[in-house]
Amino acid sequence: MTSTDIRDILTAFSPSLDYFAITTGDGRVKIWDTLKGQVQTEFADMSSNDTSIYDRSTKGHLSIDYTCMKWLSLDRKKKRKHVSSLLVLGTGGGDVLAFDVSAGQVGWRISNCHPGGVRAISSSANGSCIYTAGADGMVCRIDFTTGNLLEKFKASTKAVSCMTISSDGKTLATAASQLKIFNSSNHKEIQKFAGHPGSVRCLVFTEDGKYILSSAVGERYVALWRIDGARKQSASCVLAMDHPAVFLDSRCVDSGEHDENGMCVLAISEVGVCYFWFGNSIEELRNSKPTKISLSSEDMFSRKYKGALPTIYAAKLLGIEKPSSGHVFLVSGLLVKPSFQKLLVHSGTDVKLNVSHDGILLPKSQSLVKSKKRSDERRVTALDRANAEDALLPIPKVFNSEKEKAFQDSSDKTEKDEMIQDEIDAICMEDQLRELGILKSEKECLSNLEKCYPLLKGINLEAATPMRKIRATVLSMEPSEAIKLLESLLAAWQSRSFSGKYVLPWIYSTLVNHGHSFTTDESATCMLDSLYKITNSRGPTFQSLLQLSGRLQLMTSQIDKASQTSSDPVHDLQKDESSDEDEEDEYFHDEGDDDSEISSDDDS
Amino acid sequence: MIRGGQNYVSSPPAFSNDCKRVLVCTGNTVSVFSTSTGLQVSSLEGHTAPVTSILVVPATDVFCYCWTSSFDGTIRYWDLSVPEMVKKLDLGMPVSSMVIPSFLGSPEETNAKTSSVFAYVSVHDGKAWQIRKCNLTNYQKVGKLVLKETERPEPLIISPSGNYLGIKDKCKLHIWKLPRVESDLAVAKKITLHHTKNITILAFHPTERTVAAGDVTGRILIWRGFGTQKFLDPSGSNNRISMNDGEDKPGVRQNDDAESCSVWHWHSAAVSLLSFSPDGAYLYSGGKEGVLVLWQLDSGKKNFLPRIGSPLLYFIESPDPSLSLISCADNQIHMLKTPSMEIMRSISGIKPPLSYQEVCENFSGKAAFDCTSGLVAVQTENYGIQFYSLFANRGVYEVQVCERNHQPVDDVTVLVTLVELSVDGSTMGTVEVKLPEEGIGGVVCLKFWELDSDTKRFSVSTVIYEPHRDVDISAVAFHPTRRMAVSTSYGGDFKIWVCKERDIQQKGQRLQNSGWMCHAVGSYKNKAMRAATFSADGSVLAVAADTVITLWDPDKNVLMAVVGETPTPIVSLAFAGKSEYLLSISHGLKPQLSVWSMSKLAMAWSYRLHVEAVCSTIDSSYFAILALLPESNERAFKGNGIILLFNATDPIPVASMSVMKPKGGALAFLKGDLSEQAVIDGKTPQTLLVYINGDREYVIFNPYDKEGHKLSVIRQDVALEETGQFGYSSIYGELPKFDLQKEKTLSVMSSASERPWETIFNGSSHMLPPLTKLCSVFLESLLEKRTAVAE
Repeated sequence: MTSTDIRDILTAFSPSLDYFAITTGDGRVKIWDTLKGQVQTEFADMSSNDTSIYDRSTKGHLSIDYTCMKWLSLDRKKKRKHVSSLLVLGTGGGDVLAFDVSAGQVGWRISNCHPGGVRAISSSANGSCIYTAGADGMVCRIDFTTGNLLEKFKASTKAVSCMTISSDGKTLATAASQLKIFNSSNHKEIQKFAGHPGSVRCLVFTEDGKYILSSAVGERYVALWRIDGARKQSASCVLAMDHPAVFLDSRCVDSGEHDENGMCVLAISEVGVCYFWFGNSIEELRNSKPTKISLSSEDMFSRKYKGALPTIYAAKLLGIEKPSSGHVFLVSGLLVKPSFQKLLVHSGTDVKLNVSHDGILLPKSQSLVKSKKRSDERRVTALDRANAEDALLPIPKVFNSEKEKAFQDSSDKTEKDEMIQDEIDAICMEDQLRELGILKSEKECLSNLEKCYPLLKGINLEAATPMRKIRATVLSMEPSEAIKLLESLLAAWQSRSFSGKYVLPWIYSTLVNHGHSFTTDESATCMLDSLYKITNSRGPTFQSLLQLSGRLQLMTSQIDKASQTSSDPVHDLQKDESSDEDEEDEYFHDEGDDDSEISSDDDS
Repeated sequence: MIRGGQNYVSSPPAFSNDCKRVLVCTGNTVSVFSTSTGLQVSSLEGHTAPVTSILVVPATDVFCYCWTSSFDGTIRYWDLSVPEMVKKLDLGMPVSSMVIPSFLGSPEETNAKTSSVFAYVSVHDGKAWQIRKCNLTNYQKVGKLVLKETERPEPLIISPSGNYLGIKDKCKLHIWKLPRVESDLAVAKKITLHHTKNITILAFHPTERTVAAGDVTGRILIWRGFGTQKFLDPSGSNNRISMNDGEDKPGVRQNDDAESCSVWHWHSAAVSLLSFSPDGAYLYSGGKEGVLVLWQLDSGKKNFLPRIGSPLLYFIESPDPSLSLISCADNQIHMLKTPSMEIMRSISGIKPPLSYQEVCENFSGKAAFDCTSGLVAVQTENYGIQFYSLFANRGVYEVQVCERNHQPVDDVTVLVTLVELSVDGSTMGTVEVKLPEEGIGGVVCLKFWELDSDTKRFSVSTVIYEPHRDVDISAVAFHPTRRMAVSTSYGGDFKIWVCKERDIQQKGQRLQNSGWMCHAVGSYKNKAMRAATFSADGSVLAVAADTVITLWDPDKNVLMAVVGETPTPIVSLAFAGKSEYLLSISHGLKPQLSVWSMSKLAMAWSYRLHVEAVCSTIDSSYFAILALLPESNERAFKGNGIILLFNATDPIPVASMSVMKPKGGALAFLKGDLSEQAVIDGKTPQTLLVYINGDREYVIFNPYDKEGHKLSVIRQDVALEETGQFGYSSIYGELPKFDLQKEKTLSVMSSASERPWETIFNGSSHMLPPLTKLCSVFLESLLEKRTAVAE
């Protein structure tokens, strides 16, 4: 990245941050509207508004060199809506100018206030006066509204390079050869620090007034000094930078655990890179690594282009959102068209900003490149009438009362469950019988049968087996084993876990081959009795079942005939119903979950 | 509390004597702007009703004073340098216009005069507007003498020499010659000039006895030598008039007392601006076309300043001959360099409400809010959207929604009917309607806009033509967290749109392109859908289908539940922040605000109120409504609207504020001001409520702050005093409680367990279950109920 120097650029934000003043050393001040990103006004020759004829005749804008600029608004306490805010400028000639930006005229001016040049302007947050310091080593207190010089005292025998006042207005810091802290009311020196060997460019109090931050020309660090009246003269913390800082800002962080407040420091280096440090304590701040905000170098112009490069000009810490991140208001880009943005900076994640080329007249070749890029950047999608072709269609739902009722009242749930149970029972009588214990459950039968498997010698009961094979197996059994087999077969038949078609040959074969031995067994007779009963009971139903099947056949054939003209409605509907039923159940459960989520949210 | 959005062009502005300031009537206050920067310098606050006229006292020295008149019935005298009020005269009658003749005469003449300053005022005595005289120096009462009564408040026009006073009254001009030495009893002589059309504006020549008038058809009439007989001749007898029976008076009608009358016609619509140049050689005119025309009086040659883009209202000359200003109907004041007629700088405010609201019935002029950055988006007359910073009280930028030029005189063919911003302010949805010409060619167009992160400007991302076939879109709502939106139509369906990233291969480059696509389509019994909203977590989409609310899963497009029934169609829906309550608003004969509990799917409580707007906080269960009060209550309450702040669980409002002009107003909760106060005062950002009224004036205040209630009223300094009861209960007394009980029973009634037949037939019509099934459930439910009764 090619370095650009922003040392000579003076910037100031309006108190409400909606205007931004910038001057580049040619005596012209541009006021930008930070919301619109446009120039609001430009003041080329401020002194021309002055009543004095002398000023008008001699001073053009190039003859004024501004050395410092601050935008101050002081009578905030009054409830008037339009707080008068003044842009206070110090010149190299030693004049102090207060410029009413909204009125577009000079509010007041003090000629030759600091012979040799004004070096610093500062004011506290709620005071009604401003302080200036100059090369003559004096500090002046000036009334904000009228511009009357109220007080003057000597802060140093040498030129004061920088001066600042704490936000409560009680302490004042000047930087000459040493860094001195004064009581602003009686001008007594409170503390003295070693300070910087060179001239100090930035000096700023922290919000709580306990520390002071400073940076000097040609020194690549920011020093933090603790104001506690101690005799210690060295800096309590040094934050290293790649280039000297031209701008400093800080905010305190409330951290409950520590006695000391945490701090967050913002600095802009000479090359226009913004540094951001964050620490919950001074110790942490000292060890913290800076987060850098810079403009992405990819977007930089080609190296041939000789002109101002986009940089960051000014920044302001707006506040600390949550631990280790801060809202920063940044001014970046080219001088002809700076862009203004609010940024959330997280400590530890460097930020690269894009450079906008809006409103800049470029050499022909570059503008072509730019325009090409532009056109590709964004493409508008257009959809016509047929815009919903791949859209999801609603999944149909039917709502009936039970669901809603259950949804509303969980006590109704059991009732509803029973009802569902009834429906299921009606469908399958077997299940019901099984449940009542009339039928043995399938599991029992299976377990019984499993015991017999060794007897069957691996023959599958569920498949048709040749009679000869059955006979051979049955004959190979001991009578006691045969009884067991018969018992389990009978159970299986009764419980219908196996088809009678396969089980009955086995029963038959067992009875034929081992019938003689059964008569002697007590338990076997009982079993044979039950077998007899079952067969007897099934006999008479046979006729009616046959009739039923005949009728069914007739009906199905009729239905088939009818379906050639129209499909069977009853059948379809029943299907639909059952599927609906299932979905509704799912829906119900889902909703229940959601509900609990909502309530838990509320609790938290 | 921050106020803003004032109308700068309600009354003519005035220049200060040194031309460095311009005084603009902004509602109840007078704002002082600097002519060199266009920024506001100070304001004169004190009037309690809109200021109608400003008159600067002529003086050569630095001290600057001015008189203002207002509808609040007072005339006040201000010191501009401080700025503070010096004197207040209470006329007790609203003043619509005021002129002070003695300010205009030559300075030596004013010095010679008696010390009393007389003003002519147009006041309303309860029946009609009367023009009366008023002694400002020794004020006791308004003069009894009534010069003229008019039906409407007519602006008083005075000649630059201060000798003549004129008003227009339908087709007539009334001109008085003011007495040379004013006193309480001095009577002015009057003549009347006639025309065949309604006159809209008049202006006096600075030196000659010439008056110009514009009419509704765009003609400009110039009477020269008016009042020759009556004003010049002290004996002025009627006989002489009848003798001169119009022979040598070209163009003069009905024996009017004028020497000649000529007509110029260039404007196609009514002339609204007419002014002679100070030297009397030129005449400025302007009208709805937004073109300032400069006529050379002798020759009638014209010179134009075109493309101002908005109807012109006032033209004010300054003492400095090179500076003048014109006020435009789009709330802008342009400062003109006079000889060259170029605009040097402008003072611009929020765009006024659209004039074509009545053209389209489905039109909603509602503003949309970007809560995080404190911007409001309003539709502008020239088919655009203006983004206005609420905290800074100035426009940020404008976006053109449709690519078409705006000519104020043209018929409206395109309307931007809806603007909606997503919660984070990164996406905007607009709906524009091209009105059909003779029944054909109407097109509805939905556009999605994306915010460019660098430039902070919106640009079009997706254009959807006829999103709901040819039916108008009733509402657009954005998902709170994801890039999803829903649009509902009167045609009975809604569509869910999602923004998808797509890669496009082009010229060997891979481009990321994001476009909005239709994700799902839904409908409910083909009922017109008028409102939609997402819940705070975005898991539920509520769509109002006529009188019921349907709840959908926006991802799967599954109808999850159908809630309730309001007496009239629902026009607006909102979830009460993160709570489980949903608010519905219905208008019509039985307007209602209903709060539905999502856990019970039943109404929790409701009010019979005509609610104009509703907004809810993002992080709590509070919500605010803007309700129109019935006419009968206006006496008990100052203002015709009320803002009520509720906690969703409780039907008793937490706070109430009365406001003016609620019709077309909107409400929003803003995140606290990060830029201004918070930084300097070190306060934590708080939630603020912004109310923007039908005239797009707004006020930002902290609704939870009790102090705020006392002054949170636009155009009204006497605040709503909260005496014991809350504002609402003080009107309706016991009603809230009664309502609560009633609705509680209602909630039980409407719950499905008791009356399943109410909800059993709800469902997509083509997917209704078979009757056999319904029948059994129906009977079952009946049986169930009887057992319940037996118990």
